[in-house]
Amino acid sequence: MIELKQLSKKFGDRWALRSLDLTVSHGEIFGLLGHNGAGKSTAIGMMLGQVWPTAGEAIICGHDVAENRPRALHKVGAIFETPVFYDYLSGWRNLEILSQYTAPTAPARMREVLEWVGLTGREMAKVKTYSHGMRTRLALAQALLPNPELLILDEPSDGLDPEGIHEMRETILRLRHELGLTILLSSHLLNEVEQLCTRIAVLNQGVKVFDGTLEQIRQSRLGWVRLNVGDFTAAVADLCAQQLVTDARDGSHVVLAPGVRTDALVRRLVEQGMPLFEIVHEEQTLEGFYLDLMKKKEEPVVPVQG
Amino acid sequence: MFWLQLRGELWKLFGKKRTYIGFGMFLLAQTIVALVFRFSNASREMVRTLEGNSYVANYYVSSLTIATIMLFPIAYMLLPLYVSLVGGDLVAKEAEDGTLRMILSRPITRFRLLFVKWLAGVLFSLLLVAVLGFTGVASAALWFPWGGMFVFIPGEVFSVFGPADGLFHFTIAHGMLWAKAVTVMGLAFMFSCFNVKPAAATVLALSFVFLNFILMNIPFFKEIQHWFFTYHLNLWQGMLVEPIPWWKVGSSLIVLTAFNITFFLIGSTAFQVRDIKS
Repeated sequence: MIELKQLSKKFGDRWALRSLDLTVSHGEIFGLLGHNGAGKSTAIGMMLGQVWPTAGEAIICGHDVAENRPRALHKVGAIFETPVFYDYLSGWRNLEILSQYTAPTAPARMREVLEWVGLTGREMAKVKTYSHGMRTRLALAQALLPNPELLILDEPSDGLDPEGIHEMRETILRLRHELGLTILLSSHLLNEVEQLCTRIAVLNQGVKVFDGTLEQIRQSRLGWVRLNVGDFTAAVADLCAQQLVTDARDGSHVVLAPGVRTDALVRRLVEQGMPLFEIVHEEQTLEGFYLDLMKKKEEPVVPVQG
Repeated sequence: MFWLQLRGELWKLFGKKRTYIGFGMFLLAQTIVALVFRFSNASREMVRTLEGNSYVANYYVSSLTIATIMLFPIAYMLLPLYVSLVGGDLVAKEAEDGTLRMILSRPITRFRLLFVKWLAGVLFSLLLVAVLGFTGVASAALWFPWGGMFVFIPGEVFSVFGPADGLFHFTIAHGMLWAKAVTVMGLAFMFSCFNVKPAAATVLALSFVFLNFILMNIPFFKEIQHWFFTYHLNLWQGMLVEPIPWWKVGSSLIVLTAFNITFFLIGSTAFQVRDIKS
């Protein structure tokens, strides 16, 4: 559905995005992560033909956006971080206006979409009377009107309260399950991305530093064990000598040698009379993984391909 | 589809309260002018001029004459202000509010979007000028009788018409005033396509119009007046004389058409190459 090839954008002397390669397949919920100014919105802008690439190409639904924007975006819906509408008009009128930029839309279809997003009964009220949550739902309605196959969500939970964030998360899952949409989700809510996405890419200062599945991330710390003992240095020295662990970090974590299980560590430490308070298998969280990536800001990063 | 999109633009335009400022201010200005002429000695000079030329003054101190008198300041000052206010808003306000980003996530070409918006501006200008003419006659008719039309610009125009002829000239003058309104709106629209605030687009357009007007009226430039943009904006005045100088009006119309095309092309080129960001 989305194929970005060496996509780059320079604003003045500053590279906002550099050589981004990205592929999002049909039916995926793909997360685009990065700090503020990492290049997420610039990448989305180029996917929607709002920002012109300095180099590279964005192919959406099989069409190059720069060459044939109308065809590329025919089956695409989008929501941006702060949903903005013509406040002085009703929700219904807003939907009519926005949908006509794609294709004439039957009132029955509009009612169906309003029902789906839960705005039935409020559609004739002026948008200026809507809460932030209702505006987000209206934004979703306008994105769904042209029967899209691909939905691009640029920080859709921005500004929502916890209930709203939960509701948005449920809605995104419904979108995939009930409507079979492919979704590109740009966010810096790591918890949200972790619960929704199957695959992610992480941008750091305009450069992609990771592209892979959440499973890959979880596996990336497989074998790490948190060890709480009386004397960590002495314990690690002994365990290394016994070839039970291969690495240690942060004064609290060790890496098990291949084929070694935690019970072997427990046995050895007890035999040596070392006090053992806690031993836990550690699974990499997205937050930990992301923060590790961001710490490497100054270091050259080797991209991981999923 | 095109008509639906145009209808959408008109909904947006006429849904905003500020769109109606021009209509309200015209009515206010016309009422004030009518009352001043009715309850002061403002018409004394006009009566003297008419009687000095052997015309029955009372017949020409009419609603049509007063409507024409009030037309001059409005056409020179208020009309450019209100059409450039709307023209300057058409693109820049949507960019400022963020709705432009929402529109441009849709499969519409930038050129088509601009054309629809420009056309909405043209229709607004038409309505504004039509209302200007109608309310001018209506507000003058409240205080003055129906009669002949007298137009006097010292050194330039001295025209006297019967009621039917006067109404005809008054109507076609508004037709040409529409050309002026569209051109000034188009100028503001062009600036609006650049990455500027709506107020900046309006101010730039008005500055361009007023600067041209000032330069054109400097005696040094008198000989080359026809090279100035504002010279051609005044083509509507040609409709108030008999016989109408059709050749001059026609050439001004061609020049204004060329200006409008140029404004639109510059605006659409600037808009085409722009990055639309939040």
